[in-house]
Amino acid sequence: MDLSELERDNTGRCRLGSPVPAVCCKEPCALGVDEAGRGPVLGPMVYAICYCPLSRLADLEALKVADSKTLSENERQRLFAEMEKDGDYVGWALDVLSPNLISTSMLGRVKYNLNSLSHDTASGLIQFALDQGVNVTQVFVDTVGMPETYQARLQKHFPGMEVTVKAKADSLYPVVSAASICAKVARDQAVKNWQFVENLEDLDSDYGSGYPNDPKTKAWLRKHVEPVFGFPQFVRFSWSTAQAILEKEAEGVIWEDSAAEEAQEQPRKITSYFNQGLQTSSRLPHPYFQECGLEAATSL
Amino acid sequence: MDHGEEAASGSERIHVRSGSLRAAPPATLHLLPCEVLASRPAPVQRFFTPAVRRAADGLQVSFRGRRLRGEEVPVPPGLAGCVLTEEGQGPAGGPPRRDLDRLLGATGSFRHFTLWSLEMLPGPDAKVLRALAWPSLAAAIHAQVPED
Repeated sequence: MDLSELERDNTGRCRLGSPVPAVCCKEPCALGVDEAGRGPVLGPMVYAICYCPLSRLADLEALKVADSKTLSENERQRLFAEMEKDGDYVGWALDVLSPNLISTSMLGRVKYNLNSLSHDTASGLIQFALDQGVNVTQVFVDTVGMPETYQARLQKHFPGMEVTVKAKADSLYPVVSAASICAKVARDQAVKNWQFVENLEDLDSDYGSGYPNDPKTKAWLRKHVEPVFGFPQFVRFSWSTAQAILEKEAEGVIWEDSAAEEAQEQPRKITSYFNQGLQTSSRLPHPYFQECGLEAATSL
Repeated sequence: MDHGEEAASGSERIHVRSGSLRAAPPATLHLLPCEVLASRPAPVQRFFTPAVRRAADGLQVSFRGRRLRGEEVPVPPGLAGCVLTEEGQGPAGGPPRRDLDRLLGATGSFRHFTLWSLEMLPGPDAKVLRALAWPSLAAAIHAQVPED
């Protein structure tokens, strides 16, 4: 799998896909959607779609693609290679969401939660297949959150197809299994070859699985806290594990929107009402200076 | 900028070493849209600088997992930017001073800085940009009134 585009700049998102097999534009196709790397506090999240003509589903099943979680890394790589060999009827596409994109989305002024980000990425990939001319008639999705609401949402978005959203779809439908293999292979490769944006000399890459409950991952995070910057961009700052470590080990940071929240929560001290006479005696600067944020220096 | 000495209240005076103003090496300044509650050295060159991306409409980076957009702001014509640091009272060279006097020296000089704001480009109404217009207005206000 060629992820060189991601390796050049991994601060945003990166989409790549196989060439579309000619048969997929003619015959009605089934399309599977799955993801890898939703839970880890480290590294990217990968979304994958895999599609093939309905008439060739049996061939895909014959490859013995199975839920990627039940396979070893080597088996997944072997199966992905098999699928590439069968590129005359199987197509795939990926969307790799960098940890930085996940952090900045979830920590934006307007919060964009992981479920919405996941759902939008999945719809984006289905649309990508349609735009490339794939004749999709059936969509199978491994669920994120409630399958009923997710299915209704996707069905509304793609009224011309039959949408099925189910928990454990990756072990029920071969196209979803195949998609889960693509996603997992890409995630493994992206993490292994991660190019740190930062210029870190003594970085150890022994971070374990990347999941928050892995003691190795937690130890790595604690070791790599920088008092001012926090973590490298490889870390999802929006994860509570990361935030808890920052709160304890890094310097406090106040943002304009976080300050406003606190000001609303904090009631005024009762003594502040008695001091009003004193406060008004110091004149406010002229509106011109208030608009510039300027005042006469007294502290030097 | 006044190169001489500046009188503070009473007998306390602050001196600026005028030689340091000419000798100050160039400094890179970023103005962030958040307050870091500590003043301390930080590995800006390792964490921040390499993460800055140039987009068609400005700069982009992230700090503490939040997206910042930025632009380069020049120091207005006729002005110079400098970073002043208070120097210790120790025998760091120079003539002995009165105990109450304080000494500042320029440790950096700049002609522009990078103004960052949260998610959106700072825009022409940013307080900092308005403040930069003050010196030219101040020059007019404090100019000698011609005597008739």
